[in-house]
Amino acid sequence: MSKPKIATVWLEACAGCHMSFLDIDERIVDLLDKVELTATPITDFKEIPEVDIGVIDGGIGNEEEKHIAQELRKKAKIIIAWGDCAVFGGINTMRNFMSTKDVLEGGYIHTASTVNPDGVIPHGEVPALLPQALPADNVVKVDVYVPGCPPDADTILYVFQELLEGRMPKVPSDMMRYD
Amino acid sequence: MKEITLNFDGKACKGNLGDTILEVAQKNDVYIPTLCYLKGLSPIGACRMCVVEVEKNPKLLTSCTTPAADGMEVHTKTEKLQNYRKQILELLFAGRNHFCMYCSQSGDCELQRLAIEHGMDSVRYPFLYAPFENDATHPDLMMDHNRCVLCLRCIRVCAEKVGAHTLDLQKRGWSATVCADMGMKLGDSSTCVSCGACAQVCPTGTITIRELAYRGRRKDCDDVVESVCPLCSVGCKIKAYVRTGSVARVEGTGTESPDGGQLCHMGRWWLPESTERERVAVPMIREGAHFREASWDEAMALIASRIKPAAEKGRAGALVSSLCTDEELALFSAFYRDTLKVDIDTFDGDILRGFVKGFEPFKAQGVRPFTGAHNILDSDLVINLCADPQDEAPVVASYIRVAVLRNNARMIFIGDMADPFDGLTDVGIRLADCKDPTFLKELAACLMALAESRVDLDGMTALDSYAGSLAQLAGIGGISLEQAEEIVKLVAGAKKPVLVLGKSRAKNPAIVSAAGNLAIAARSFFGDGLGIVPLVSSGNSLGAVNTCVSNEPWLRTKDLDFLYVYSTGMIPEDEDSLAAISRSGFSVIQTPYLVRPLVNLADVLLPAPAWFERSGHFCTIEGERRRLNVIVPPKADLKGLSTVLEGIAKDLGLTVGRPGSAPCEQFFVSSVSPELAKMAAL
Repeated sequence: MSKPKIATVWLEACAGCHMSFLDIDERIVDLLDKVELTATPITDFKEIPEVDIGVIDGGIGNEEEKHIAQELRKKAKIIIAWGDCAVFGGINTMRNFMSTKDVLEGGYIHTASTVNPDGVIPHGEVPALLPQALPADNVVKVDVYVPGCPPDADTILYVFQELLEGRMPKVPSDMMRYD
Repeated sequence: MKEITLNFDGKACKGNLGDTILEVAQKNDVYIPTLCYLKGLSPIGACRMCVVEVEKNPKLLTSCTTPAADGMEVHTKTEKLQNYRKQILELLFAGRNHFCMYCSQSGDCELQRLAIEHGMDSVRYPFLYAPFENDATHPDLMMDHNRCVLCLRCIRVCAEKVGAHTLDLQKRGWSATVCADMGMKLGDSSTCVSCGACAQVCPTGTITIRELAYRGRRKDCDDVVESVCPLCSVGCKIKAYVRTGSVARVEGTGTESPDGGQLCHMGRWWLPESTERERVAVPMIREGAHFREASWDEAMALIASRIKPAAEKGRAGALVSSLCTDEELALFSAFYRDTLKVDIDTFDGDILRGFVKGFEPFKAQGVRPFTGAHNILDSDLVINLCADPQDEAPVVASYIRVAVLRNNARMIFIGDMADPFDGLTDVGIRLADCKDPTFLKELAACLMALAESRVDLDGMTALDSYAGSLAQLAGIGGISLEQAEEIVKLVAGAKKPVLVLGKSRAKNPAIVSAAGNLAIAARSFFGDGLGIVPLVSSGNSLGAVNTCVSNEPWLRTKDLDFLYVYSTGMIPEDEDSLAAISRSGFSVIQTPYLVRPLVNLADVLLPAPAWFERSGHFCTIEGERRRLNVIVPPKADLKGLSTVLEGIAKDLGLTVGRPGSAPCEQFFVSSVSPELAKMAAL
């Protein structure tokens, strides 16, 4: 039997959750004996193949991220939401207290460090912002939630191991964190 | 009290009739999660985390507000309850900004702890993203309404324990926010006393103490040590959190204690800040305009050589802070007064002498002439005699506010300054001079005459004397007869009046004795003594009374060749003491901190352990001997008072004798019930 395939995507988030994943250190060698990492920000494959486990790291803030999340959902049997951004929306939701117009003008025109005399706001060539930054499960169905900013490496590994054992994991209280 | 038995998840638990379900559960170590509940504050059942199922009752009941009944079958952890509680938490998280990764309280937060405990790995509800303000107007506190769960603990502690009623709720439903003074910003509030009790009880990151952003959270701290605050006469019990060898934060004990676990602005901020102050690290000896570092041996030898001739000529003195522990004060008096026969006194000696001499006629009868400060809460009439409690002992001011505002006590103010409780006082008398006891004497006489007229069957003679007395009272106080009668009626009608006596005017013992007589005339008797709360100046002033306060003042009048000063560096020295120190021919100053101008006056400067590095006992006006504990062990080359005094004694060929003075409990002794106290002759 071929090894279960894993794909991970890095949406609206810092790289913290993937860094935390790499923090499993040498245990990644054992893990790679049991699974195949396909498209991830680490391997940098551009196309997401059909996989057993799809991991979403980050919230959904623009049309592209929404599209990727939906693509992954179609190709993955189980979706894991990694980190507070994917689970709760996280730090991205700070913009939800403003309109997208204010967010863009704030970022591209009014910021003190910005030089943009013509007041140009990019559009067309970059994905359009959604009205609000959302947790992943507002866009696609999520099967396993792993909160934490970032989740501990041990927690990330625990979730994979449980899935490999054929159990649908739930992060226990003593491993759960929101910060 | 009738005992009742309830079954919690099948376990039989005993409680008392009148307990709530939660109280019985907690007495029996049955865990029920709570959020808005805080022991000591009135339960309001707002958060509904503590819901339980009670058999034969179709509804879920909040255990914090539901009275327990005998035979109740309570279920605390059914699946239904777990789901409800998780749902409540998810709704709270969805309602406002509870993103832990950018909250300073993450790790200390009770909301976060509950959510993790309930396995909340996602929120099923859409987040509201309603914008709330962040009120950063207060210099020491921050209030971020985005983090608020509306548990109302802050509002309750502010009203029920501090009595300030600064905080309240404005608007309704999800728009409701905590506000200060009818919708003001916290920094603009005129009623806030900056005690920080609200931040101490806040379960989330809503009300926070600015400094703690860098001092660290509770979870970052390595140790918690109980001790006592030395800064005023109340001597509040404190919990000091230690982080990497320094005191990171200071909190009051639980809200269930009489003081409600509150501290004042001094304890909350000055205590931890004092650990960052500049210290005296090594002994130093003056050379001209400068100091040079010296060894302890050299410094002690120099002190010994100077003290001997001065003591022989009777031109030596020793001055000690009454923030010292009882043990330190006893040693100080044993060495200087009993061994070297040198005059000793405390910085606040003048105030304490007033209290000692004024109380003496009552002490001589075996009556304890004062009562524990928290008894103000049981009183129905507070008589404020020349006291400004918010300044002198802020927690006493809280007791007074709570007594008046919550317990419906009345209040009389008699003083020569502006009424510190203007607006709460029923009758205020502005005297020309607080040091003059005639008004108090006459008020006592009026009360006695009134009491006599009630037993005097004939009535007329006593009534005449009452009328005469009343007229005199009005004359002395410069008030109308009606006002005079109102005061007398208030006092005579009170079941348990209490007198709060300010320190500033206590220098005159006649005032203190007159207050004692007034307490007797007003039948102000408490279980532990006469109903007077004397606002002496510092943590162990009552202990100092027994050990180090001299009978007569000498500091200002005596020419001194040698003066030993032991200061704790926590309260600025008064000008009279500083003048005396600068007049002295040779001054040894032992102090933990580089306190100016005090250290500039030293010929020999010795380091001392600070309040958090010493241990011993304080005798407080709460009527308790409380223990000061070492919170952080002393660093560097510090020596305690006993080592230094023994070193000096050795150089002199002497030994520090056993302390001749009694421990400060002696001051709390009462052999005669206060009801039997007789008035002092004035």
